[in-house]
Amino acid sequence: MNPFDYRRAEDAAGAVATVAADPRAMFLGGGTNLVDHLKLGIVDPDLLVDVTRLLPDGVEPLPDGGVRIGAGMRNSDLAADPLIRRRYPVLSQALLSGASGQLRNAATTGGNLLQRTRCVYFQDVTMACNKRRPGSGCSAFGGYTRYHAILGASEHCIATHPSDMAVALSALDATVVVQGTDGERRVAMTELHRLPGDAPERDTVLRHGDLITAVELPDLPFAARSRYRKVRDRASYAFALVSVAAAVDLSDGVIREARIALGGVAHKPWRATRAEAELRGARPTEETLRAAAEAELAEARPVEGNEFKPTLARNTLVATLRDLVEEERTR
Amino acid sequence: MASTSTRAPVGLSSVTRDGIGASPRRPDGTLKVTGEFAYSSDMWMEDMLWGATLRSPHPHAEILGIDVSGALRLPGVYAVLTHEDVPGEKRYGLEYRDQPVLAFGKVRYKGEPVAIVAADHPETARRALERIKVDYRVLEPVSDARRAALDPDCPLVHEEGSLPLHEEHNQRGNRVRYQPIRTGAFADGASVEEVRALADVVVTGEYEVGMQDQAFLGPESGLAVPAEDGGVDLYIATQWLHVDQRQIAPCLGLPADKVRLTLAGVGGAFGAREDLSMQIHACMLALHTGKPVKFVYNREESFFGHVHRHPATMRYEHGAKRDGTLVYATMEIVLDGGAYASATPAVVGVASSLGIGPYEVPHVSVDAYGVYTTNPPCGAMRGFGAVQACFGYESQMDRLAAELGMDPVDLRIKNAVSQGSRIITGQEIDMPMPMAEMLRRAREMPLPPDRSSLPAPSDPRTLPGGVANTSHGEGIVRGIGYGVGLKNLCFSEGFDDYSTARVRLEVVGGEPAVTVHTAAAEVGQGLVTVKGQIARTELGVERVTILPSDTRVGSAGSSSASRQSYMTGGAVKTACEAVRERVFALVRERGLVEDGHPDALLSLSGGKVVSAAEGVLISLADLLGGEAIEETREYHHRPTQMLDPSRGQGSSHTQFGMCVHRAVVDVDVELGLVKVVALDAVQDVGKVMHPQQLAGQIQGASAQGLGLALMEEIQVHDGVIRNPSFTDYLIPTILDTPPMRIDVLEHPDPHAPYGLRGAGEPPTLSSTPAIVAAVRNATGRPLTHAPVRPEDIVGIDPPQG
Repeated sequence: MNPFDYRRAEDAAGAVATVAADPRAMFLGGGTNLVDHLKLGIVDPDLLVDVTRLLPDGVEPLPDGGVRIGAGMRNSDLAADPLIRRRYPVLSQALLSGASGQLRNAATTGGNLLQRTRCVYFQDVTMACNKRRPGSGCSAFGGYTRYHAILGASEHCIATHPSDMAVALSALDATVVVQGTDGERRVAMTELHRLPGDAPERDTVLRHGDLITAVELPDLPFAARSRYRKVRDRASYAFALVSVAAAVDLSDGVIREARIALGGVAHKPWRATRAEAELRGARPTEETLRAAAEAELAEARPVEGNEFKPTLARNTLVATLRDLVEEERTR
Repeated sequence: MASTSTRAPVGLSSVTRDGIGASPRRPDGTLKVTGEFAYSSDMWMEDMLWGATLRSPHPHAEILGIDVSGALRLPGVYAVLTHEDVPGEKRYGLEYRDQPVLAFGKVRYKGEPVAIVAADHPETARRALERIKVDYRVLEPVSDARRAALDPDCPLVHEEGSLPLHEEHNQRGNRVRYQPIRTGAFADGASVEEVRALADVVVTGEYEVGMQDQAFLGPESGLAVPAEDGGVDLYIATQWLHVDQRQIAPCLGLPADKVRLTLAGVGGAFGAREDLSMQIHACMLALHTGKPVKFVYNREESFFGHVHRHPATMRYEHGAKRDGTLVYATMEIVLDGGAYASATPAVVGVASSLGIGPYEVPHVSVDAYGVYTTNPPCGAMRGFGAVQACFGYESQMDRLAAELGMDPVDLRIKNAVSQGSRIITGQEIDMPMPMAEMLRRAREMPLPPDRSSLPAPSDPRTLPGGVANTSHGEGIVRGIGYGVGLKNLCFSEGFDDYSTARVRLEVVGGEPAVTVHTAAAEVGQGLVTVKGQIARTELGVERVTILPSDTRVGSAGSSSASRQSYMTGGAVKTACEAVRERVFALVRERGLVEDGHPDALLSLSGGKVVSAAEGVLISLADLLGGEAIEETREYHHRPTQMLDPSRGQGSSHTQFGMCVHRAVVDVDVELGLVKVVALDAVQDVGKVMHPQQLAGQIQGASAQGLGLALMEEIQVHDGVIRNPSFTDYLIPTILDTPPMRIDVLEHPDPHAPYGLRGAGEPPTLSSTPAIVAAVRNATGRPLTHAPVRPEDIVGIDPPQG
């Protein structure tokens, strides 16, 4: 780790101005990802601006029926929040399935969204990686790819986004509130993260110096029965091979609306719009659920070493939807 | 301690507490659970320097040049050393001397040490590493172990003629050791085709065991302090002080007595500290700079700094009569030893001799290969050689049972070894081996309740996949599986193994007190407690002090092969007996008993000398006064033999241990998630020395086997470890670990002290195949690779269209 300056920011505007003005400055939130990267030599900033004290860290109801989550809110606090647990259980479940207790106590909402891929080639600075060193190539092809993408990847990068929380937020149509040098703006959660294309070094649409200050969830009554499921190699503290966040609005035996996102399969939380479209107006039988999942995964392109992922993703999606439908029926 | 008296000793107020069979508190227990115990990484000296290691970025490359000048110019750097600075022998090794202290000529694995630095701060040292320029010519990695074993055209990892060859191990080319075993018709030259004709039913199988890490919590660390006599004192977390000393001294060009080692606090070992890591490096830098030098590896470096469990590929064929009687078995196992031999020869010796497990089979052919590749070096890990083979032969027994339509336990009982059986090396099992009874006991243990009989909703933590990704219990299939493992305990194959103990009895503050001094490594297993228990039992004195382990006393041998209770326990017992004889001699000298009073009628208890006939004769305090009695003894186990290199015959093992596991799993077959519901064990330990520590050993070994069954695997691609962290290399957490019922048997081994058997390894063998068998039972999948992953259970759909 190389020396860097540390500054605790007093207000958001000042923090943004400081970081935006210095290409070698970075924001420091909970540090659970950034500090690892400092040690591994993945990033080498001159200045860390600590924003944990200035960011809001609570959940507040909004007049339009939605809620606003402060970007400084710790993952464990957010998971335990009564309002979130009652109205958006998928978010609470996703948070609790991520990392370990100690990490959740430190990690923030904003930082969780901006955590970087766990691709082992990204983390090994001796290897070529287009995300870490643009143009150097991608070492993942032909390598250890169990955790790599099957949807929306490019020849330049097959990394996945590691967050569980972000998958739930994507399904819930969250909005990210961003403070930039020219004021506040709002970015749809589904638009925040990018597909790799030919610029995998850019994880999100944010500009250098942009600071996430809050995340807003819309009023979504049927999300009160939502669910997050995650397939991984051990029962806790492991990244997703595949995960699914889903909410289903079911009435009179017909699916009116569905919100679905997949984790562990793409460079961003993968909003499953095709599956949602298939399900809208459908009667939830095993066949229709499976058809929806297969429609979503029709474009899946596994690489050597993760050929199993389309099957596992389909099964997980079907199982999650089936769970929700059963829950609705027996309610 | 045998007493022929029927009378209670007169005047003896209390017996000695906390002897063998009790569960006294560990002397280091409180410090460890309160965080106050000093581990090796906590060592500190005011003027010490920090060492750091430059490691090869390539699995295989020629070193064209090393330029350290940039590093030397960095302020705060005291020394930068390469192979040219090694004062003595350039190579060391546990069994073969083939590993460079610092690489010269070539690097043979990614992570191999090339240069070392001492600086005033760890960060300075790290930066100095970045300034060392090494010019490499990258070579093609030799990464396919099977090819290394069998293809004569495979490039060599070690150049022809560069190392002396071990003929007794059939060492040749990339083969570190090749051990064939031939019995029955195979010994007479029969072909497989001929032998196969004797069987009604034949099953074949190919199995793989992944590379497992020992995953100790305390990374490698040590502190070397230069001494005024030109020698060095090394404080180090290791498993065997004297074998370290034996390897370090020649490389430093020093006599052994100038390289003094003291055991520092060990944060787990499991075999990973058998080989040297930074020992020689720290000593070189300390001697070069004249200052103490401390090394601490971080977690990532630790993955490159120690050996791992050999990954194995196995091919089996078993033939049986229709009634299940085994007729023949063939086995080929290839163990990937990586760049240097480490413990590979011994691993091959175990994997071959125990290759078909605890079964009576008249005709056997085994071919076991341990090979050099440019993969990470592999060596000792709990249960080595036997763990890999056990996964293979137990998988085969299940496959055979299915083919025969037999109950898997019945098939095992039908072919089980027992006392008097011979294993495939011709060695007789000359100690109790109640395998059939153990299997019956495992089968008869109560089963956990079926999920369907539980009131819904059941606790999500008990469902496959843990809390956040569970089913409601529908679609979950239960499976049951069994595993039996046969393990050699103590060192094998002709090694004259021994341990040394020095025991001192004296009066301190008016009370008798015992001091026990050995060089044995306490690696967390609790030997430090057991040594005290033995001294209390043998000398009847409760106040026992265990001195720090160091090389001022003779070798204790390694804390491995489940051997320390047996060997160092035996040494402490023997030394105590010698002390006791001198006490009794003193009793006679003082005229406290008549001449000719047999020792057998005397005993020590509650700090007093007791006669079976007359009760308490005198207190030890009064008897000894200011006199101290000290005795040092070496304890040797009975001799063993080498395996002959052509047919693998010979009584190579000291002792056998066995554990039987029954695993119960719930599997979500749709998502590929496994929950181990129960993992119950039956083990014969000969004699329970410390019930609580024994339970810890069995539970821990079972959990380590669970890890290998379901999640633990170092991912090596093109010779490079891809998951060197505890975030990416997964070991079981408490959420993955089921309740464990343990049934302990005590059939004494007549050859061993107290009849005990080493207990720490056998459960590591049997737990893995039992769990995988249970998952197969639930899913019907073949599951030939350990660990089993979700995708192995879910499978892959055939491509659409």
